[in-house]
Amino acid sequence: MDPMVSMYISQGIHGIAYGMILFLIASGLNIIFGMMGILNMAHTAFFMLAAYFCYVVVGITGNFWLGLVFAPLFTAVLGVVMERVFLRKAVGHMGELILTMGISFVIVAAIKKIWGTESLPLQMPEILSGMVNIVGVSYPVYRLFVIGLALVILVFMMLLLYRTRLGKIVRAAVSDRDMVNALGININMVFMFVFGVGTWMAGLAGVAIAPILTVFPGLADQVGMDAFIVVVTGGFGSLAGAFIVSIIFGLLSSYGVQFVSQFAPVLMVVFMAIVLAFRPNGLFGVKE
Amino acid sequence: MMKNKLNVVWWVIGLLFFAFFPKIFGIYYTNVMVTLAIFSVFALSVNMLLGYTGLLSFGQAMFFGFGGYGTALALTHIPGIGVLPAIGLGVLAAVVLALILSPLVVRVSGTAFAMLHLAFGQLMYVLALKLYNITGGEDGIANFPVPGLFTESLKSSPEHFYYLAMVILGISTWLMWYVTKTPFGQIQVGIRDNAKRIDYLGYRVPQSKAVIYVLSAFFAGVAGSIYGLFHNLVSADGSLGIGMSFAPIISVMIGGVGSFFGPILGVAIFQLVDELILRYTESTELVMGVILIVVVMFMPTGFVGLYRMLRQKISARRTPEAKKEKA
Repeated sequence: MDPMVSMYISQGIHGIAYGMILFLIASGLNIIFGMMGILNMAHTAFFMLAAYFCYVVVGITGNFWLGLVFAPLFTAVLGVVMERVFLRKAVGHMGELILTMGISFVIVAAIKKIWGTESLPLQMPEILSGMVNIVGVSYPVYRLFVIGLALVILVFMMLLLYRTRLGKIVRAAVSDRDMVNALGININMVFMFVFGVGTWMAGLAGVAIAPILTVFPGLADQVGMDAFIVVVTGGFGSLAGAFIVSIIFGLLSSYGVQFVSQFAPVLMVVFMAIVLAFRPNGLFGVKE
Repeated sequence: MMKNKLNVVWWVIGLLFFAFFPKIFGIYYTNVMVTLAIFSVFALSVNMLLGYTGLLSFGQAMFFGFGGYGTALALTHIPGIGVLPAIGLGVLAAVVLALILSPLVVRVSGTAFAMLHLAFGQLMYVLALKLYNITGGEDGIANFPVPGLFTESLKSSPEHFYYLAMVILGISTWLMWYVTKTPFGQIQVGIRDNAKRIDYLGYRVPQSKAVIYVLSAFFAGVAGSIYGLFHNLVSADGSLGIGMSFAPIISVMIGGVGSFFGPILGVAIFQLVDELILRYTESTELVMGVILIVVVMFMPTGFVGLYRMLRQKISARRTPEAKKEKA
């Protein structure tokens, strides 16, 4: 096959894989924001923390799959603790933003203290480390696995939100939390659960990206900033917006690195600026 | 009448204090004073947005950085330029950036405003690192000439630099205070409290937001420009990093959001705490994070709020009748 075409295809899959990871982080942020109105600035710190947890679990057990299961769970538990202990005390959106930012600073500082600043390699399992042939292009299996994992999570979230009683309560709480509370449902427990699920998704993304980028303290800034830009551009609280913009950004970043490598990070901000110039609340955002 | 005279006396005492400060306290504390003054003006510029208009920006450092880079570039590349035109060019750079961004950012508020600035701030930071030819990349721009008003160079005379910096920063502080007292300043407070009502009253909300946004960038630019001159160095981490966006927010939070002089108190406390704690730990991030958490959780109104609360309690105790009436 023509090398140009195969380059386009493999960069395209690269982009989609990265977009899927962005979507995992951004949708976690969005679920929390949509329900509680809190933009969790510490979200990307949790995302990075999960990668470190996975590194530790793999270091002890030597099994990536155990890391994939347990690291996001640990992260979710920490997220719930943060919500219970700290976030409930914050006053107003301004306080929440600044408080979660402070927590993110503390987590990053702790990570640097415990694991140092150099990047730690994380071995992917053998089954996923090979290459596979798709329409004549050989492609790393692991990135396909990431795409598959994100799709499974997406379907799981859809089922949870639209096919269960719990999902119904969550959706009701998004539109009117006081009314749900008045109907005798413990809204604080629901908040805690949602916060846990959101952080769990960030944790999954952290573990998924760790073997590709290695584990280092700049992870939160590098990937996290992109995820925040996704949320702003797609519209706060909109899952569909987050999905579409994630894929667009994934492709922008992978083709951007290919063609204008110096200014790949600029592309997303420019895209965001254009979108916000016409729709100040994001692509799918609702006017407050 | 009496009060006016007393005010004049205070002003004179204050001016004398600042005028003879370097003579009395020596060179070390003179430099501390310049640092405090720079960060005070920077924090006040943040408070203009956050306290008086209700706009939280996570990227104020970009105006600070533009001021610094503008001045440093002017002094490096334009031979024979005076110090005041150089500062002016730096501030102009910050104002131009604010003018470019303002049509976009004044239409959003709250969380989106904060996030947009986080993104733009990071963008400027990345650009400063990547555009090596202009900004010097990670090393930044250092050792540029710093001409004085009357002397060849201010580098070896920190006392002269003190006077220059204090006059400029003092005038900036007074100007910011003056703005809050004008009817325009009152409209800002109105926008913070109820933007819709200000809109109904016939004022243009986005336009007046844009004006305050550019003013805030102007003063952040002044602070950044003096900061660059003071250290004779402008670098991406020192002037544009995310820490530089949060340091003034922390100061404002510690001092008290919305009160005019609170942020200055906050700067003093933050610098003191930073100085003390950094003797035991290397990590600025940890210090900043812990301060942010503690302030939001236990002192949401800052020291000024604490002071007001205590004063209220004391005056309530003095007049028990008033308390009874309330009950």
